[in-house]
Amino acid sequence: MEKNKLLAGILVFGSLWGFSECIVGSMLRNAGLPAGAIMTGVFAFSLMAISRMFYKARGMQLGMGLVAGALRLFNPFGGCYICSAIAIMAEGMMFEILWYKISPDFNELDTLKIKSSMGIVTSYCIYVVGYVVTQILTPVFSSADFHIENLIVFIPQILAGGLLAAVIGGIMVPTMFLIKKFDNNLVRNRLYYPATIGISALCWLIVIANKY
Amino acid sequence: MGIACVLMTIEMKHMEKKKLISIFAIIVILVGIGSSVYVNAAQVDSKHINVNGQDYTIDQLFDISEEKTYETYFGIALDDLMVKTGVENPEEHEYTIIGQDGYQQTVKWENMINGLLTKDGKSIFTDLPKAFRVKEIVEIKVD
Repeated sequence: MEKNKLLAGILVFGSLWGFSECIVGSMLRNAGLPAGAIMTGVFAFSLMAISRMFYKARGMQLGMGLVAGALRLFNPFGGCYICSAIAIMAEGMMFEILWYKISPDFNELDTLKIKSSMGIVTSYCIYVVGYVVTQILTPVFSSADFHIENLIVFIPQILAGGLLAAVIGGIMVPTMFLIKKFDNNLVRNRLYYPATIGISALCWLIVIANKY
Repeated sequence: MGIACVLMTIEMKHMEKKKLISIFAIIVILVGIGSSVYVNAAQVDSKHINVNGQDYTIDQLFDISEEKTYETYFGIALDDLMVKTGVENPEEHEYTIIGQDGYQQTVKWENMINGLLTKDGKSIFTDLPKAFRVKEIVEIKVD
């Protein structure tokens, strides 16, 4: 894979992820829905898995997490969103760890059962790790200190919250494999650069414009 | 023969990976269900907020404390609340705010000065990230 094409891919998928976290995530939160689990299962996991199918490159999803986390810091609704940005970056890192041993052509994920199982494990782990990492690191970036006992007492709640993300992840994976056949055509298309840069710019513009 | 051996080794590795993925998925589901059951059983349903060891209703707290507004949030000043509920030398303590779901955060006096408690029992701190917003507060512990 050409380096520039990969970088454009990181930018567009990371921007889409950050955009969905800012716009859709805020809508879900305002509606009182479990936004964290839904966002992880539907958007974070799906975008990372789809990009892995298209580009077959390790490390890309970590880059996507950095782009999405950066975009989250430009959240339209004001206030400090450092906690969400940290969680997003940690999710990208966790995805990389879990999928490191999966071959680029996904030979292991050949049956519906295995695909769903991988979706369940990945969604659950990225949700839990994202939550835990942000609980540890957010106080570091603020004037309050980190207290381990606050995290320990809330661990059962975090583990329970991940169940919805796991179920969504399990349902999403088989659907994602349906679009696998488009992979090479999309990246080889002559409109690849204009499309990726255009979509990325649009995501950033909407998020930043919403701030004012 | 050599190629067959390599293919067999790869196939065996794939089988091991598949088995591991399935086992992990089952563990994840069981942990998630178990935690959900535990969380529901352990949830406290209280109409009172315990501040420094004493129970108050939210209306009582609003009666005794100074009102404060931040952006779209309206509530009572947390620093004033601590003073009014009898905390001595408030600047020397840390405050652990605990929600009905078990979520808790510990803050310093300098944060309490920038904090408010809303009518629906939520803490808002103007100087801290959103992670410090505790919903449905049941206790404010003075450490």
